[in-house]
Amino acid sequence: MALTDAPVSTQTLVTKRRVARRPVTRGGRRRTAKVLTIVGLFLGALFAGLPVLWMLSSSFKSNTQIFENPPRLITETFSIDAYVTIFTDPEKMRFFVNSYVVALSVVACTLLVAILTAYAFSRFTFPGKELLNVVIISVQAVPPITLLIPYFGLIVLLGLYDTYPGLILTYMVFTLPYAIIMMTGYFNSLPRELDEAVRVDGGGSWTALWRILVPVATPGIVSVGMYTFMLAWNEYLFALTLTRTVEMRTVPIGIQLLMGQHSYEWNEMMAMSIVGSIPVLVLFLFFQRYFIGGLTAGSVKS
Amino acid sequence: MTQKRKIIAGMSAMAAASLVLTGCGGSGGDVDADGNVVIELAQWWEPELPDGELRGLIDEFEEQNPGIKVELLSGPYASTREQLVTGAASGTMPDVVGLDGSWVNDFAKQGAITDLSALMAEHDYDDSTLASQVEVDGSTYMVPAVNFVYPLYTNDALLAEAGVDQPPSSRTEFADAARAITELGNAAGTAMPLSLETPSGVQNQVMSWLWASGGSMLKDGKPDLTNEGVVDTIEYFDELYQDGVFAPGAFTMKEQDMVEEFTNGRVGMMVDSLAHLTMIRESNPDLEFSISALPAEDGYDGKRGIPYASWGLGIAESSEHKAEAWKLFEFLMSEEANAELASMAKAFPGNTESVPDFVEDDELMAEAFDIYQAGYPANEFTGLPVAEDLMRQMNEQFQSMLEGDISVDEMLETTQESWSAEF
Amino acid sequence: MSTVAERRGRAEAPAPGGPRRRGQGGAPGVRRSEPFLYVGPTVILIGVLLVIPVVTVIGYSLFDNVITNPNPEFVGLAHYAALLSDTGFYTAVGNTLFFTIVSVAAHLVIGLVFALMLNSPLVGRTTTAVYRTIYVLPWLFTVAIVAVLWRLLLNPNGVVNYLLSFVGSGSTEWLSDPSLALGTVTFINIWAGYPFFMVSLLAGLQGISADLYETARVDGANAWQRFTAVTLPNLKPVIISMSLLDLIWTSQQFALIWMTTGGGPVDATELVSTYTYKLAFTKYEFGAASTAAVVVLVLSMILAVFYVRHQRAKE
Repeated sequence: MALTDAPVSTQTLVTKRRVARRPVTRGGRRRTAKVLTIVGLFLGALFAGLPVLWMLSSSFKSNTQIFENPPRLITETFSIDAYVTIFTDPEKMRFFVNSYVVALSVVACTLLVAILTAYAFSRFTFPGKELLNVVIISVQAVPPITLLIPYFGLIVLLGLYDTYPGLILTYMVFTLPYAIIMMTGYFNSLPRELDEAVRVDGGGSWTALWRILVPVATPGIVSVGMYTFMLAWNEYLFALTLTRTVEMRTVPIGIQLLMGQHSYEWNEMMAMSIVGSIPVLVLFLFFQRYFIGGLTAGSVKS
Repeated sequence: MTQKRKIIAGMSAMAAASLVLTGCGGSGGDVDADGNVVIELAQWWEPELPDGELRGLIDEFEEQNPGIKVELLSGPYASTREQLVTGAASGTMPDVVGLDGSWVNDFAKQGAITDLSALMAEHDYDDSTLASQVEVDGSTYMVPAVNFVYPLYTNDALLAEAGVDQPPSSRTEFADAARAITELGNAAGTAMPLSLETPSGVQNQVMSWLWASGGSMLKDGKPDLTNEGVVDTIEYFDELYQDGVFAPGAFTMKEQDMVEEFTNGRVGMMVDSLAHLTMIRESNPDLEFSISALPAEDGYDGKRGIPYASWGLGIAESSEHKAEAWKLFEFLMSEEANAELASMAKAFPGNTESVPDFVEDDELMAEAFDIYQAGYPANEFTGLPVAEDLMRQMNEQFQSMLEGDISVDEMLETTQESWSAEF
Repeated sequence: MSTVAERRGRAEAPAPGGPRRRGQGGAPGVRRSEPFLYVGPTVILIGVLLVIPVVTVIGYSLFDNVITNPNPEFVGLAHYAALLSDTGFYTAVGNTLFFTIVSVAAHLVIGLVFALMLNSPLVGRTTTAVYRTIYVLPWLFTVAIVAVLWRLLLNPNGVVNYLLSFVGSGSTEWLSDPSLALGTVTFINIWAGYPFFMVSLLAGLQGISADLYETARVDGANAWQRFTAVTLPNLKPVIISMSLLDLIWTSQQFALIWMTTGGGPVDATELVSTYTYKLAFTKYEFGAASTAAVVVLVLSMILAVFYVRHQRAKE
């Protein structure tokens, strides 16, 4: 078969390969793939998980042993003191409450606003669309450090200093660009036939959005929601600046308070981090099913 | 029509929901429900002091001053300065602020903190009991409430192993001891925290040696880095570095890291804050160590400067309750309260008449106190403009020099130039 | 005839039985004002809370003695001239380019590889769920803890060197060695940021209909060919959006660098973000700092314009 014949179809390529490597069966190839995947998964888990394992182990050590050499995973002073301290300190518990209130509110509000905006970007054209898009993307690029003082001045002016709405609005503004871009992308990947189906039934854009598009774009919504929660949960600089009193402060501030001028409370810091991450993990586990299975597959067949 | 109505209805519902949250906010204000004046004390000290003790001290103040309530605002140390700048810029600065000496000049120039000399004059305050005052252009802007001195810590067990029976008191002795310890193989002679994030290493662990020998890096308040004392000090450290007696990781090491290495017996000698004394003892009760004055140049027998860092107090210029803020200031600097504060913090009081309780109970602290009184507090960076940045500039050049990229003279000349630009 | 007011698209009352709009989905009953209502909240929020401060920052870059001094003086483009002739700024830009590009590329590759593995039909449901949870872990922690944790791990006397000592390597100064510092810090950032890509790609992978794979398999395509012919093209929009966003965010990463190396040793890890921070909060030169911010803003706007044009071209 002349190699200059063009185009060579995949059929031919595959046939050639089959002829050349007869001894390897399809089942064998599958097995190799499976082994490779399992090994890959395991190595990946080491990469991702070992530092976190160390964090966990440090939360059970006494402060002295954090720096011992040779380092050990579990030491003889294994204790849950750090955790007890955290759970019995009303101030720290308040940090957690605040973080939850703020983060959950941000998720709800941002998703709402982002879905609406992304719907407009995806399904309509209107004057100013491009400009709005450019503005939304590029304002994220201003270094927060330089934005801090003017932004803070504005918040004080609006009377939102040391309040929940101050933080919530701030995080909304930080997460909206990402949320809008991603939701626009997800909506864009959903065929217009879905909208048409609603229109044909006499519904309008609002119905089309909430009855059809949103349910189908759920994996996208969930992943955007996760990201929004993460950012609101872990953000430090603006949380610190926009709050004054313990009643309003959040977990990242609580953690940094343990980094004193003269010494760090290592075990408490690590413990607080772990405690903070567990609910998020649980949420993630709960929403995992949205990552499983294609929800759009076969939705438009009629 | 229906569609639009739906949209608008939906939006309104969201707006209404968000308004509900507006009611939730933090407390705070100038006058509380009982008609008391509420002032704020912002500091980073509370998390480091034993639980509840600072609040207890403040409660004492409130008892002695009915009609005034104090709200304690604690923040993480690392972010304190930027928070203060932000607060000053937007008029939300707390009434009384905890300050570090290296911030004073800039805050004073920015009009963020008020002239304390004027307040002292207004209230006929006798300032003879104040151990030190940090001044800018002749007026006081900050008064150190407690001082943390930086003596030399030595791991006696390691020293003994290396054949040295006493903490070194001259530079040559120190160099010899450091080399001997490093040769033992499992520890470094000394450690130098040169992290650029908090470049106070330049102040506490490098320039302090200059001051310990009575030297100075300033002349008439302007930088003078090319004098003999400075050159000798820098060359001394260059030599030590090339001999490999520094613990690894010096360029990003912070003070806390150094302390941990010392506590774990991996560093033989270090210049460190007295604030860590208790911590070291608690972390490693088996560690045999002692405190002594910084080594001076061979043959120097004058008074030795002791580096120190302090927790200082200032009053915000924008405070609407300066009278009440002044009362709090007075209280914290009064003999009894200051002694209590110093005892809590395990530091030396800013009031010359205060005697903290540990001087009686604690041998090592008493020793440190003696060293403190035999020498003089020396920190030439306090009160300089952009003091932290000056330290950072020198730190960067110092690192370059140690790496071998530039010579000692080049380092000092470049630093001299960049410093002069700031004055 | 167009009666649209500002380009910002504030809501306006439609004319009764108004003219049909041109554009997609132009079915009966779609009012011209609808999209403006939908984007209304965003416009208001971003307009008030972001655009105003950003404009203030741009304004600051033209003055000296801002914020910290009651007498700001107008200096025009002096700050820009100073900035663009400062070698320190260019070092920072160079480091930032390395840090950003390597981070984003690695995030993409690792995220993709992990997402594919997790999506693989070869492994059981429970196993995948467990691994999925583990892979998300680095994302859950605040930057301060990530920085502090890695400083601990990379301490010359810490765990990493301890484990490496079994393989012969001595005590490497990961963060203090000028030649290693930038790479190390980039690695930490890669570790902390890949889950974002992974999660988004996973969601994207779900959107690819299984039918497409079947067709390809029937055509005789092998795994690699299925990947390049089906997976990648379908993921392209997600990849492009996320890369753009990650580029912008990574270029601003401040806390991670600051808390691990402070921009050092010497200036090995000095990024534009640390450079700007020092200008603002240690030298108190907010005018100059704002200038650096504006430069970054302009560069991002260019990127954003390309991206938006590209999106538009696809429609």
